[in-house]
Amino acid sequence: MEEQVKNASWDHFVRIHEDLCNGCVLCMKVCPAKAIRVRGGHVARTEGLCIDCGECMRVCPRGAVKAITTGSRKIDRPTAVAIISPVLYTQFGEDITPGDIYEAVKGLGFMDVVEQAEVMAQYVKALELYIREKGKSRDAPRPLISPVCPVVVRLIAYRFPSLLKNVVPIITPRELSAREARKKIAEQRGVDPEEVRVYHVTPCAAKMISIKRPVLMERSYLDGAIGISTIYPEVLRELKARKEKKGEANARNRMVEWAASGGEIDNMEEGNLLAVSGMQETIRYLERIEMGLLESIDYVEFRACGEGCIGGPLTVADKYQAKYTIRKLGRRQRQGLQADVAQVEERYKSGWFFTHWEPRPIGHREQTLPLAEAIRRQEQVEKLRRALPGKECGACGSPDCATFAEDVVDERASISECVFLKRPREKGESG
Amino acid sequence: MYGLVPGGREWIEMAHLLKTFSITPRDFVRAGEISIAIQGILKSVGFGQDVIRRASVCAYESEMNVVMHGGKGTFFLAVEPEMIVMEVADDGPGIQDIDLAMQEGYSTASPEYREIGFGAGMGLPNIKKNADEMEITSEKGKGTRVKILIRAEEESGGAG
Repeated sequence: MEEQVKNASWDHFVRIHEDLCNGCVLCMKVCPAKAIRVRGGHVARTEGLCIDCGECMRVCPRGAVKAITTGSRKIDRPTAVAIISPVLYTQFGEDITPGDIYEAVKGLGFMDVVEQAEVMAQYVKALELYIREKGKSRDAPRPLISPVCPVVVRLIAYRFPSLLKNVVPIITPRELSAREARKKIAEQRGVDPEEVRVYHVTPCAAKMISIKRPVLMERSYLDGAIGISTIYPEVLRELKARKEKKGEANARNRMVEWAASGGEIDNMEEGNLLAVSGMQETIRYLERIEMGLLESIDYVEFRACGEGCIGGPLTVADKYQAKYTIRKLGRRQRQGLQADVAQVEERYKSGWFFTHWEPRPIGHREQTLPLAEAIRRQEQVEKLRRALPGKECGACGSPDCATFAEDVVDERASISECVFLKRPREKGESG
Repeated sequence: MYGLVPGGREWIEMAHLLKTFSITPRDFVRAGEISIAIQGILKSVGFGQDVIRRASVCAYESEMNVVMHGGKGTFFLAVEPEMIVMEVADDGPGIQDIDLAMQEGYSTASPEYREIGFGAGMGLPNIKKNADEMEITSEKGKGTRVKILIRAEEESGGAG
Protein backbone atom coordinates (compact mmCIF):
# COMPACT_ATOMS: atom_id res chain seq x y z
CA MET A 1 0.00 0.00 0.00
CA GLU A 2 2.43 2.57 -1.08
CA GLU A 3 2.77 5.29 -3.59
CA GLN A 4 5.75 7.18 -4.76
CA VAL A 5 6.38 10.73 -3.79
CA LYS A 6 5.82 13.28 -6.52
CA ASN A 7 5.81 16.38 -4.43
CA ALA A 8 8.00 16.55 -1.37
CA SER A 9 6.27 19.64 0.00
CA TRP A 10 3.19 17.75 1.12
CA ASP A 11 2.25 18.11 4.73
CA HIS A 12 1.32 14.47 5.11
CA PHE A 13 2.58 11.22 3.73
CA VAL A 14 -0.42 9.09 4.54
CA ARG A 15 -3.03 9.88 1.90
CA ILE A 16 -6.66 8.96 1.41
CA HIS A 17 -7.80 8.34 -2.15
CA GLU A 18 -11.32 9.59 -2.67
CA ASP A 19 -12.00 7.46 -5.73
CA LEU A 20 -11.36 4.26 -3.77
CA CYS A 21 -13.14 5.37 -0.60
CA ASN A 22 -16.78 4.43 -0.13
CA GLY A 23 -17.25 6.55 2.97
CA CYS A 24 -17.43 3.78 5.59
CA VAL A 25 -16.54 4.71 9.17
CA LEU A 26 -13.64 2.35 9.90
CA CYS A 27 -10.71 4.76 9.55
CA MET A 28 -12.62 7.56 11.26
CA LYS A 29 -13.23 5.26 14.22
CA VAL A 30 -9.60 4.29 14.73
CA CYS A 31 -7.98 7.67 14.11
CA PRO A 32 -6.30 8.53 17.44
CA ALA A 33 -6.06 12.22 16.50
CA LYS A 34 -9.78 12.39 15.65
CA ALA A 35 -8.72 13.99 12.39
CA ILE A 36 -11.14 12.11 10.11
CA ARG A 37 -14.78 12.83 9.31
CA VAL A 38 -17.12 11.34 6.72
CA ARG A 39 -18.67 14.11 4.64
CA GLY A 40 -20.76 13.63 1.53
CA GLY A 41 -20.01 9.94 1.32
CA HIS A 42 -16.23 10.32 1.52
CA VAL A 43 -13.71 10.77 4.25
CA ALA A 44 -12.29 14.20 4.88
CA ARG A 45 -9.28 14.84 7.03
CA THR A 46 -8.36 17.82 9.15
CA GLU A 47 -4.79 18.08 7.97
CA GLY A 48 -3.63 19.99 11.03
CA LEU A 49 -4.52 17.12 13.35
CA CYS A 50 -3.11 14.12 11.44
CA ILE A 51 -0.01 12.54 12.99
CA ASP A 52 0.74 10.19 10.08
CA CYS A 53 0.43 7.09 12.23
CA GLY A 54 -1.13 4.94 9.51
CA GLU A 55 -3.88 3.43 11.70
CA CYS A 56 -6.39 4.37 8.97
CA MET A 57 -4.33 2.53 6.40
CA ARG A 58 -4.34 -0.62 8.48
CA VAL A 59 -8.13 -0.85 8.72
CA CYS A 60 -9.20 0.33 5.28
CA PRO A 61 -10.82 -2.66 3.53
CA ARG A 62 -10.62 -0.99 0.12
CA GLY A 63 -6.98 0.01 0.06
CA ALA A 64 -7.95 3.66 -0.21
CA VAL A 65 -5.34 4.81 2.27
CA LYS A 66 -1.79 4.80 1.06
CA ALA A 67 1.50 5.74 2.61
CA ILE A 68 3.74 7.78 0.42
CA THR A 69 7.38 6.87 0.44
CA THR A 70 10.20 7.84 -1.83
CA GLY A 71 9.54 4.78 -3.96
CA SER A 72 12.45 2.60 -4.96
CA ARG A 73 12.32 3.43 -8.67
CA LYS A 74 12.71 7.15 -8.06
CA ILE A 75 16.05 6.53 -6.44
CA ASP A 76 19.25 6.60 -8.43
CA ARG A 77 20.71 3.60 -6.69
CA PRO A 78 24.33 3.90 -7.74
CA THR A 79 24.47 7.23 -5.89
CA ALA A 80 22.27 6.25 -2.94
CA VAL A 81 22.90 4.68 0.45
CA ALA A 82 20.28 2.38 1.99
CA ILE A 83 19.98 2.14 5.79
CA ILE A 84 18.30 -1.13 6.77
CA SER A 85 15.92 -1.31 9.69
CA PRO A 86 16.29 -4.58 11.64
CA VAL A 87 12.61 -5.20 10.90
CA LEU A 88 13.65 -6.28 7.41
CA TYR A 89 15.38 -9.34 8.93
CA THR A 90 12.11 -10.50 10.43
CA GLN A 91 10.20 -10.59 7.14
CA PHE A 92 11.51 -13.72 5.45
CA GLY A 93 11.07 -16.43 8.04
CA GLU A 94 13.51 -18.26 10.27
CA ASP A 95 15.46 -20.04 7.55
CA ILE A 96 16.77 -16.91 5.90
CA THR A 97 19.45 -15.30 7.99
CA PRO A 98 20.05 -11.57 8.45
CA GLY A 99 23.38 -12.11 6.71
CA ASP A 100 21.64 -13.43 3.60
CA ILE A 101 19.17 -10.56 3.62
CA TYR A 102 21.92 -8.00 3.98
CA GLU A 103 23.80 -9.51 1.04
CA ALA A 104 20.61 -9.57 -1.02
CA VAL A 105 19.95 -5.86 -0.45
CA LYS A 106 23.54 -5.18 -1.40
CA GLY A 107 22.82 -6.94 -4.66
CA LEU A 108 20.12 -4.41 -5.53
CA GLY A 109 22.57 -1.83 -6.83
CA PHE A 110 22.87 0.72 -4.04
CA MET A 111 26.14 2.58 -3.65
CA ASP A 112 26.27 1.31 -0.08
CA VAL A 113 24.04 -0.60 2.32
CA VAL A 114 24.33 0.12 6.04
CA GLU A 115 22.74 -1.82 8.84
CA GLN A 116 21.06 0.36 11.39
CA ALA A 117 22.14 -2.29 13.88
CA GLU A 118 25.72 -1.02 13.62
CA VAL A 119 25.02 2.04 15.78
CA MET A 120 22.33 0.50 17.96
CA ALA A 121 24.64 -0.93 20.57
CA GLN A 122 26.24 2.49 20.93
CA TYR A 123 22.85 4.16 21.06
CA VAL A 124 21.75 1.86 23.88
CA LYS A 125 24.93 2.52 25.86
CA ALA A 126 24.52 6.28 25.43
CA LEU A 127 20.92 5.97 26.54
CA GLU A 128 22.07 4.16 29.67
CA LEU A 129 24.52 6.95 30.43
CA TYR A 130 21.78 9.54 29.96
CA ILE A 131 19.28 7.69 32.15
CA ARG A 132 21.90 7.30 34.88
CA GLU A 133 22.84 10.99 34.68
CA LYS A 134 19.22 12.13 34.88
CA GLY A 135 18.47 9.65 37.64
CA LYS A 136 20.81 11.62 39.89
CA SER A 137 19.13 14.94 39.16
CA ARG A 138 16.11 15.92 41.25
CA ASP A 139 14.69 18.26 38.62
CA ALA A 140 14.87 15.86 35.70
CA PRO A 141 11.49 14.90 34.25
CA ARG A 142 10.31 11.38 35.02
CA PRO A 143 9.93 9.01 33.33
CA LEU A 144 12.14 9.67 30.32
CA ILE A 145 10.62 8.72 26.98
CA SER A 146 12.23 7.00 24.00
CA PRO A 147 12.80 9.28 20.98
CA VAL A 148 12.65 6.35 18.53
CA CYS A 149 9.00 6.08 17.42
CA PRO A 150 8.14 9.04 15.17
CA VAL A 151 4.41 8.61 15.72
CA VAL A 152 4.78 8.78 19.49
CA VAL A 153 6.97 11.86 19.19
CA ARG A 154 4.36 13.61 17.00
CA LEU A 155 1.57 12.50 19.29
CA ILE A 156 3.42 14.09 22.21
CA ALA A 157 4.04 17.31 20.27
CA TYR A 158 0.31 17.53 19.45
CA ARG A 159 -1.52 16.21 22.45
CA PHE A 160 0.98 15.98 25.30
CA PRO A 161 3.31 18.96 24.75
CA SER A 162 4.20 19.08 28.44
CA LEU A 163 5.97 15.73 27.93
CA LEU A 164 8.29 16.95 25.17
CA LYS A 165 10.83 17.60 27.91
CA ASN A 166 10.69 13.91 28.87
CA VAL A 167 11.79 12.78 25.40
CA VAL A 168 15.47 11.85 25.46
CA PRO A 169 17.47 14.24 23.22
CA ILE A 170 19.65 11.44 21.83
CA ILE A 171 19.58 11.05 18.05
CA THR A 172 17.76 7.88 16.97
CA PRO A 173 19.75 4.95 15.55
CA ARG A 174 18.35 5.47 12.04
CA GLU A 175 19.42 9.11 12.04
CA LEU A 176 22.82 8.37 13.57
CA SER A 177 23.34 5.71 10.89
CA ALA A 178 22.38 8.17 8.17
CA ARG A 179 24.64 10.90 9.51
CA GLU A 180 27.64 8.62 9.78
CA ALA A 181 27.04 6.95 6.40
CA ARG A 182 26.79 10.35 4.75
CA LYS A 183 30.05 11.45 6.36
CA LYS A 184 31.87 8.24 5.47
CA ILE A 185 30.78 8.19 1.83
CA ALA A 186 31.56 11.87 1.37
CA GLU A 187 35.07 11.29 2.71
CA GLN A 188 35.64 8.17 0.65
CA ARG A 189 34.51 9.76 -2.59
CA GLY A 190 35.67 13.28 -1.93
CA VAL A 191 32.20 14.75 -2.36
CA ASP A 192 30.09 17.17 -0.36
CA PRO A 193 28.07 15.27 2.31
CA GLU A 194 25.01 17.16 1.05
CA GLU A 195 25.28 15.36 -2.27
CA VAL A 196 25.05 11.89 -0.77
CA ARG A 197 21.50 10.50 -0.83
CA VAL A 198 20.51 8.37 2.14
CA TYR A 199 17.28 6.34 2.40
CA HIS A 200 15.76 4.32 5.20
CA VAL A 201 14.36 0.88 4.39
CA THR A 202 11.48 1.00 6.82
CA PRO A 203 8.29 -0.63 8.15
CA CYS A 204 6.96 2.76 9.21
CA ALA A 205 4.37 4.96 7.51
CA ALA A 206 5.42 7.96 9.59
CA LYS A 207 9.06 7.80 8.54
CA MET A 208 8.52 10.20 5.66
CA ILE A 209 6.98 12.90 7.82
CA SER A 210 9.70 12.42 10.41
CA ILE A 211 12.24 13.04 7.65
CA LYS A 212 10.49 15.94 5.97
CA ARG A 213 9.16 17.62 9.10
CA PRO A 214 11.11 16.33 12.07
CA VAL A 215 10.08 17.24 15.62
CA LEU A 216 13.28 16.40 17.48
CA MET A 217 15.82 17.78 15.02
CA GLU A 218 16.11 20.82 12.85
CA ARG A 219 16.80 18.66 9.81
CA SER A 220 16.84 14.95 9.18
CA TYR A 221 20.00 13.22 7.97
CA LEU A 222 17.83 11.04 5.75
CA ASP A 223 16.55 12.02 2.32
CA GLY A 224 13.65 9.64 2.15
CA ALA A 225 12.20 6.28 3.03
CA ILE A 226 11.63 3.05 1.12
CA GLY A 227 8.83 0.89 2.45
CA ILE A 228 9.78 -2.70 3.25
CA SER A 229 6.66 -3.75 1.36
CA THR A 230 7.96 -1.90 -1.73
CA ILE A 231 11.40 -3.44 -1.79
CA TYR A 232 10.29 -6.88 -0.58
CA PRO A 233 9.69 -8.53 -3.99
CA GLU A 234 13.12 -7.45 -5.20
CA VAL A 235 14.84 -8.72 -2.08
CA LEU A 236 12.98 -12.00 -2.41
CA ARG A 237 14.07 -12.37 -6.03
CA GLU A 238 17.66 -11.61 -5.09
CA LEU A 239 17.53 -14.10 -2.21
CA LYS A 240 16.35 -16.81 -4.59
CA ALA A 241 19.07 -15.97 -7.10
CA ARG A 242 21.68 -16.28 -4.34
CA LYS A 243 20.37 -19.53 -2.96
CA GLU A 244 23.74 -21.24 -2.91
CA LYS A 245 25.66 -18.55 -1.04
CA LYS A 246 24.69 -18.71 2.58
CA GLY A 247 25.47 -15.35 4.17
CA GLU A 248 28.47 -16.07 6.38
CA ALA A 249 27.85 -13.07 8.59
CA ASN A 250 24.99 -14.46 10.69
CA ALA A 251 27.05 -14.67 13.83
CA ARG A 252 27.09 -10.89 14.00
CA ASN A 253 24.72 -9.20 16.34
CA ARG A 254 22.03 -7.85 14.08
CA MET A 255 19.76 -6.51 16.81
CA VAL A 256 16.79 -8.36 15.34
CA GLU A 257 15.03 -8.25 18.69
CA TRP A 258 14.95 -4.45 18.39
CA ALA A 259 12.17 -4.87 15.82
CA ALA A 260 9.67 -5.96 18.45
CA SER A 261 8.30 -4.12 21.45
CA GLY A 262 10.76 -4.34 24.35
CA GLY A 263 13.76 -4.70 22.04
CA GLU A 264 15.16 -1.33 22.97
CA ILE A 265 15.06 -1.80 26.74
CA ASP A 266 15.97 -5.50 26.66
CA ASN A 267 19.52 -4.49 25.85
CA MET A 268 19.83 -2.21 28.86
CA GLU A 269 21.30 -3.50 32.04
CA GLU A 270 19.78 -1.45 34.83
CA GLY A 271 16.93 0.85 35.72
CA ASN A 272 13.15 0.71 35.95
CA LEU A 273 12.35 0.24 32.29
CA LEU A 274 8.94 -0.13 30.72
CA ALA A 275 7.89 -1.04 27.18
CA VAL A 276 4.45 -0.07 25.90
CA SER A 277 3.16 -0.71 22.39
CA GLY A 278 -0.05 -0.02 20.49
CA MET A 279 -1.74 3.28 19.84
CA GLN A 280 -4.48 3.16 22.48
CA GLU A 281 -2.10 1.83 25.10
CA THR A 282 0.43 4.52 24.30
CA ILE A 283 -2.19 7.25 24.72
CA ARG A 284 -3.31 5.73 28.00
CA TYR A 285 0.21 5.73 29.37
CA LEU A 286 0.98 9.25 28.16
CA GLU A 287 -2.13 10.40 30.01
CA ARG A 288 -0.90 8.67 33.15
CA ILE A 289 2.54 10.20 32.84
CA GLU A 290 1.03 13.63 32.39
CA MET A 291 -0.85 13.07 35.63
CA GLY A 292 2.43 12.57 37.42
CA LEU A 293 1.99 8.83 37.76
CA LEU A 294 4.77 6.45 36.75
CA GLU A 295 7.38 8.59 38.43
CA SER A 296 8.99 5.44 39.76
CA ILE A 297 9.81 4.48 36.16
CA ASP A 298 13.09 5.70 34.62
CA TYR A 299 12.41 5.15 30.95
CA VAL A 300 9.51 4.16 28.72
CA GLU A 301 9.96 2.63 25.31
CA PHE A 302 6.80 3.56 23.42
CA ARG A 303 5.91 2.10 20.05
CA ALA A 304 2.69 3.27 18.42
CA CYS A 305 2.32 0.02 16.48
CA GLY A 306 1.13 -3.03 18.40
CA GLU A 307 4.06 -5.40 19.20
CA GLY A 308 6.49 -2.70 18.06
CA CYS A 309 7.95 -1.92 14.64
CA ILE A 310 7.17 -5.42 13.32
CA GLY A 311 3.57 -4.19 13.46
CA GLY A 312 4.37 -1.30 11.13
CA PRO A 313 1.97 -0.67 8.24
CA LEU A 314 4.71 -1.12 5.60
CA THR A 315 5.65 -4.65 6.63
CA VAL A 316 4.83 -7.80 4.71
CA ALA A 317 5.02 -10.54 7.35
CA ASP A 318 2.34 -10.72 10.01
CA LYS A 319 3.63 -9.28 13.28
CA TYR A 320 3.33 -12.53 15.22
CA GLN A 321 5.06 -14.43 12.49
CA ALA A 322 7.81 -11.80 12.65
CA LYS A 323 7.97 -12.23 16.41
CA TYR A 324 8.38 -15.95 15.96
CA THR A 325 11.21 -15.35 13.51
CA ILE A 326 12.93 -13.01 15.97
CA ARG A 327 12.77 -15.69 18.62
CA LYS A 328 14.26 -18.28 16.33
CA LEU A 329 16.99 -16.02 14.99
CA GLY A 330 17.78 -14.64 18.42
CA ARG A 331 18.33 -18.13 19.82
CA ARG A 332 20.98 -18.73 17.22
CA GLN A 333 22.96 -15.57 17.72
CA ARG A 334 22.36 -14.40 21.23
CA GLN A 335 25.35 -12.54 22.51
CA GLY A 336 26.14 -9.41 24.47
CA LEU A 337 26.13 -5.96 22.97
CA GLN A 338 29.25 -5.17 21.02
CA ALA A 339 29.81 -1.57 22.00
CA ASP A 340 33.16 -0.02 22.78
CA VAL A 341 32.22 1.52 26.11
CA ALA A 342 35.21 3.88 26.26
CA GLN A 343 34.40 5.21 22.81
CA VAL A 344 30.74 5.67 23.69
CA GLU A 345 31.67 7.60 26.82
CA GLU A 346 33.98 9.87 24.89
CA ARG A 347 31.39 10.47 22.19
CA TYR A 348 28.73 11.02 24.82
CA LYS A 349 30.79 13.77 26.45
CA SER A 350 31.57 15.42 23.13
CA GLY A 351 27.87 15.65 22.18
CA TRP A 352 28.18 13.13 19.32
CA PHE A 353 24.87 11.48 20.25
CA PHE A 354 22.79 14.53 20.94
CA THR A 355 20.32 16.54 18.95
CA HIS A 356 20.77 20.19 19.90
CA TRP A 357 17.27 21.17 19.01
CA GLU A 358 14.48 22.31 21.28
CA PRO A 359 11.35 20.41 20.20
CA ARG A 360 8.22 22.54 19.91
CA PRO A 361 4.60 21.72 20.54
CA ILE A 362 2.37 21.55 17.48
CA GLY A 363 -0.56 23.87 18.19
CA HIS A 364 -4.25 23.28 18.65
CA ARG A 365 -7.30 25.28 17.71
CA GLU A 366 -8.71 25.39 21.24
CA GLN A 367 -5.61 26.90 22.71
CA THR A 368 -6.11 30.07 20.70
CA LEU A 369 -9.47 30.88 22.38
CA PRO A 370 -9.44 33.04 25.50
CA LEU A 371 -10.10 30.90 28.59
CA ALA A 372 -13.55 32.31 29.35
CA GLU A 373 -14.68 31.64 25.80
CA ALA A 374 -13.10 28.20 25.77
CA ILE A 375 -14.96 27.31 28.97
CA ARG A 376 -18.24 28.48 27.48
CA ARG A 377 -17.54 26.40 24.40
CA GLN A 378 -16.72 23.38 26.54
CA GLU A 379 -19.89 23.86 28.54
CA GLN A 380 -21.94 23.83 25.35
CA VAL A 381 -20.09 20.72 24.21
CA GLU A 382 -20.82 18.95 27.51
CA LYS A 383 -24.50 19.91 27.39
CA LEU A 384 -24.91 18.70 23.85
CA ARG A 385 -23.04 15.53 24.64
CA ARG A 386 -25.53 14.72 27.38
CA ALA A 387 -28.36 15.20 24.90
CA LEU A 388 -26.82 12.82 22.36
CA PRO A 389 -27.70 9.12 22.47
CA GLY A 390 -24.18 7.83 23.10
CA LYS A 391 -24.55 5.09 20.50
CA GLU A 392 -21.14 6.00 19.06
CA CYS A 393 -22.34 4.86 15.63
CA GLY A 394 -20.47 7.41 13.56
CA ALA A 395 -23.40 7.76 11.14
CA CYS A 396 -23.30 11.54 11.61
CA GLY A 397 -19.85 11.57 10.07
CA SER A 398 -17.99 12.31 13.30
CA PRO A 399 -16.07 9.54 15.07
CA ASP A 400 -18.08 9.50 18.31
CA CYS A 401 -20.80 11.42 20.12
CA ALA A 402 -18.35 13.59 22.07
CA THR A 403 -16.52 14.67 18.95
CA PHE A 404 -19.84 15.24 17.16
CA ALA A 405 -20.84 17.57 19.99
CA GLU A 406 -17.61 19.52 19.46
CA ASP A 407 -18.18 19.65 15.71
CA VAL A 408 -21.70 21.01 16.17
CA VAL A 409 -20.58 23.65 18.66
CA ASP A 410 -17.74 24.65 16.33
CA GLU A 411 -20.24 24.78 13.44
CA ARG A 412 -18.51 22.10 11.43
CA ALA A 413 -21.53 19.82 11.59
CA SER A 414 -25.27 20.19 11.93
CA ILE A 415 -27.17 18.64 14.82
CA SER A 416 -29.61 17.22 12.24
CA GLU A 417 -26.89 14.76 11.17
CA CYS A 418 -27.58 12.64 14.24
CA VAL A 419 -29.80 9.82 13.05
CA PHE A 420 -31.12 9.10 16.53
CA LEU A 421 -32.10 12.64 17.42
CA LYS A 422 -33.62 13.20 14.02
CA ARG A 423 -35.91 10.20 13.95
CA PRO A 424 -39.46 11.12 14.92
CA ARG A 425 -41.06 9.00 17.59
CA GLU A 426 -42.95 6.06 16.28
CA LYS A 427 -46.38 5.07 17.42
CA GLY A 428 -46.46 3.04 20.57
CA GLU A 429 -43.37 4.66 22.04
CA SER A 430 -44.05 6.55 25.19
CA GLY A 431 -44.24 10.30 24.71
CA MET B 1 -12.30 28.70 52.85
CA TYR B 2 -11.80 29.28 49.11
CA GLY B 3 -11.48 33.07 49.58
CA LEU B 4 -13.67 33.85 46.62
CA VAL B 5 -16.09 31.10 47.43
CA PRO B 6 -18.62 31.87 50.07
CA GLY B 7 -20.06 28.61 51.28
CA GLY B 8 -18.50 26.46 48.59
CA ARG B 9 -21.63 24.92 47.10
CA GLU B 10 -23.30 28.20 46.12
CA TRP B 11 -20.20 29.07 44.22
CA ILE B 12 -20.33 25.82 42.37
CA GLU B 13 -23.82 26.63 41.19
CA MET B 14 -22.59 29.90 39.68
CA ALA B 15 -19.62 28.53 37.80
CA HIS B 16 -19.35 28.32 34.06
CA LEU B 17 -18.76 24.64 33.53
CA LEU B 18 -20.10 22.01 35.87
CA LYS B 19 -19.81 18.29 35.72
CA THR B 20 -20.73 15.49 38.07
CA PHE B 21 -19.41 11.96 38.05
CA SER B 22 -20.22 9.09 40.32
CA ILE B 23 -17.50 6.89 41.78
CA THR B 24 -18.03 3.22 42.47
CA PRO B 25 -15.93 1.98 45.38
CA ARG B 26 -13.61 -0.97 44.65
CA ASP B 27 -14.22 -0.72 40.90
CA PHE B 28 -10.57 -1.04 39.92
CA VAL B 29 -11.35 -1.63 36.28
CA ARG B 30 -12.75 1.86 35.80
CA ALA B 31 -10.66 3.55 38.45
CA GLY B 32 -8.91 6.60 37.04
CA GLU B 33 -11.43 7.17 34.25
CA ILE B 34 -12.86 10.27 35.90
CA SER B 35 -9.45 11.88 36.27
CA ILE B 36 -8.67 11.14 32.64
CA ALA B 37 -12.00 12.69 31.60
CA ILE B 38 -11.26 15.77 33.69
CA GLN B 39 -7.77 16.00 32.26
CA GLY B 40 -9.31 15.88 28.77
CA ILE B 41 -11.82 18.63 29.57
CA LEU B 42 -9.15 20.91 31.01
CA LYS B 43 -6.96 20.25 28.00
CA SER B 44 -9.62 21.12 25.49
CA VAL B 45 -10.40 24.29 27.43
CA GLY B 46 -6.73 25.10 27.10
CA PHE B 47 -5.47 25.75 30.61
CA GLY B 48 -1.74 26.00 31.13
CA GLN B 49 0.23 22.78 31.40
CA ASP B 50 1.03 23.20 35.07
CA VAL B 51 -2.60 23.88 36.00
CA ILE B 52 -3.72 20.79 34.12
CA ARG B 53 -1.04 18.66 35.72
CA ARG B 54 -1.83 19.80 39.26
CA ALA B 55 -5.58 19.45 38.74
CA SER B 56 -5.15 15.97 37.22
CA VAL B 57 -2.99 14.79 40.11
CA CYS B 58 -5.56 16.05 42.63
CA ALA B 59 -8.41 14.49 40.66
CA TYR B 60 -6.61 11.16 40.43
CA GLU B 61 -5.64 11.00 44.09
CA SER B 62 -9.08 11.92 45.32
CA GLU B 63 -10.80 9.55 42.92
CA MET B 64 -8.49 6.71 43.97
CA ASN B 65 -9.03 7.49 47.64
CA VAL B 66 -12.73 6.84 47.20
CA VAL B 67 -12.17 3.75 45.06
CA MET B 68 -9.79 2.25 47.62
CA HIS B 69 -11.21 3.34 50.97
CA GLY B 70 -14.50 5.12 50.48
CA GLY B 71 -18.13 4.32 49.92
CA LYS B 72 -20.38 5.38 47.06
CA GLY B 73 -18.92 8.66 45.87
CA THR B 74 -19.63 11.77 43.87
CA PHE B 75 -17.14 13.93 42.03
CA PHE B 76 -18.12 17.53 41.30
CA LEU B 77 -16.07 19.60 38.92
CA ALA B 78 -16.51 23.33 38.42
CA VAL B 79 -14.40 25.28 35.98
CA GLU B 80 -13.97 29.04 35.75
CA PRO B 81 -11.32 31.04 33.92
CA GLU B 82 -9.65 31.85 37.25
CA MET B 83 -9.97 28.54 39.03
CA ILE B 84 -10.88 24.89 39.04
CA VAL B 85 -12.84 23.53 41.97
CA MET B 86 -13.31 19.86 42.72
CA GLU B 87 -15.41 18.40 45.45
CA VAL B 88 -15.22 14.70 46.12
CA ALA B 89 -17.59 13.17 48.64
CA ASP B 90 -18.37 9.62 49.66
CA ASP B 91 -20.52 7.83 52.23
CA GLY B 92 -17.79 5.45 53.35
CA PRO B 93 -16.30 4.72 56.78
CA GLY B 94 -14.64 8.14 57.11
CA ILE B 95 -11.09 8.91 58.12
CA GLN B 96 -10.11 8.02 61.68
CA ASP B 97 -7.35 10.58 62.11
CA ILE B 98 -7.16 13.26 59.44
CA ASP B 99 -3.89 14.74 60.72
CA LEU B 100 -2.26 11.36 60.48
CA ALA B 101 -3.70 10.72 57.00
CA MET B 102 -2.25 14.02 55.82
CA GLN B 103 1.27 12.95 56.72
CA GLU B 104 3.44 12.00 53.81
CA GLY B 105 4.22 8.32 53.68
CA TYR B 106 1.26 7.36 55.82
CA SER B 107 -1.08 4.98 54.08
CA THR B 108 -3.72 2.54 55.13
CA ALA B 109 -3.72 1.02 51.66
CA SER B 110 -2.48 -2.52 51.43
CA PRO B 111 0.59 -2.97 49.21
CA GLU B 112 -1.40 -4.46 46.34
CA TYR B 113 -3.61 -1.34 46.27
CA ARG B 114 -0.56 0.88 46.13
CA GLU B 115 0.67 -0.96 43.08
CA ILE B 116 -2.18 0.43 41.00
CA GLY B 117 -0.77 3.23 38.91
CA PHE B 118 2.79 2.03 39.43
CA GLY B 119 3.23 2.99 43.02
CA ALA B 120 1.60 6.40 42.83
CA GLY B 121 -1.27 7.08 45.15
CA MET B 122 0.43 9.08 47.82
CA GLY B 123 -3.10 10.14 48.62
CA LEU B 124 -4.01 13.21 50.64
CA PRO B 125 -0.49 14.65 51.04
CA ASN B 126 -0.14 14.66 47.27
CA ILE B 127 -3.40 16.58 46.92
CA LYS B 128 -2.18 19.11 49.46
CA LYS B 129 1.08 19.48 47.56
CA ASN B 130 -0.64 20.19 44.25
CA ALA B 131 -3.72 22.15 45.28
CA ASP B 132 -3.79 25.85 46.06
CA GLU B 133 -6.42 25.25 48.71
CA MET B 134 -7.74 22.07 50.23
CA GLU B 135 -10.30 21.31 52.86
CA ILE B 136 -11.16 17.91 54.23
CA THR B 137 -14.03 16.97 56.51
CA SER B 138 -14.80 13.49 57.67
CA GLU B 139 -17.14 11.87 60.10
CA LYS B 140 -16.64 8.35 61.31
CA GLY B 141 -19.21 6.03 59.79
CA LYS B 142 -20.70 8.76 57.62
CA GLY B 143 -18.13 9.60 55.01
CA THR B 144 -15.54 12.05 53.79
CA ARG B 145 -15.66 15.25 51.76
CA VAL B 146 -12.58 16.75 50.10
CA LYS B 147 -12.68 20.20 48.49
CA ILE B 148 -9.88 21.22 46.22
CA LEU B 149 -9.15 24.53 44.57
CA ILE B 150 -6.63 25.10 41.82
CA ARG B 151 -5.95 28.68 40.77
CA ALA B 152 -5.51 29.14 37.06
CA GLU B 153 -3.19 32.07 36.77
CA GLU B 154 -2.32 33.12 33.26
CA GLU B 155 0.87 31.47 32.23
CA SER B 156 2.76 31.10 29.02
CA GLY B 157 1.56 28.12 27.02
CA GLY B 158 4.99 26.90 25.91
CA ALA B 159 6.70 23.70 26.97
CA GLY B 160 8.05 24.00 30.46
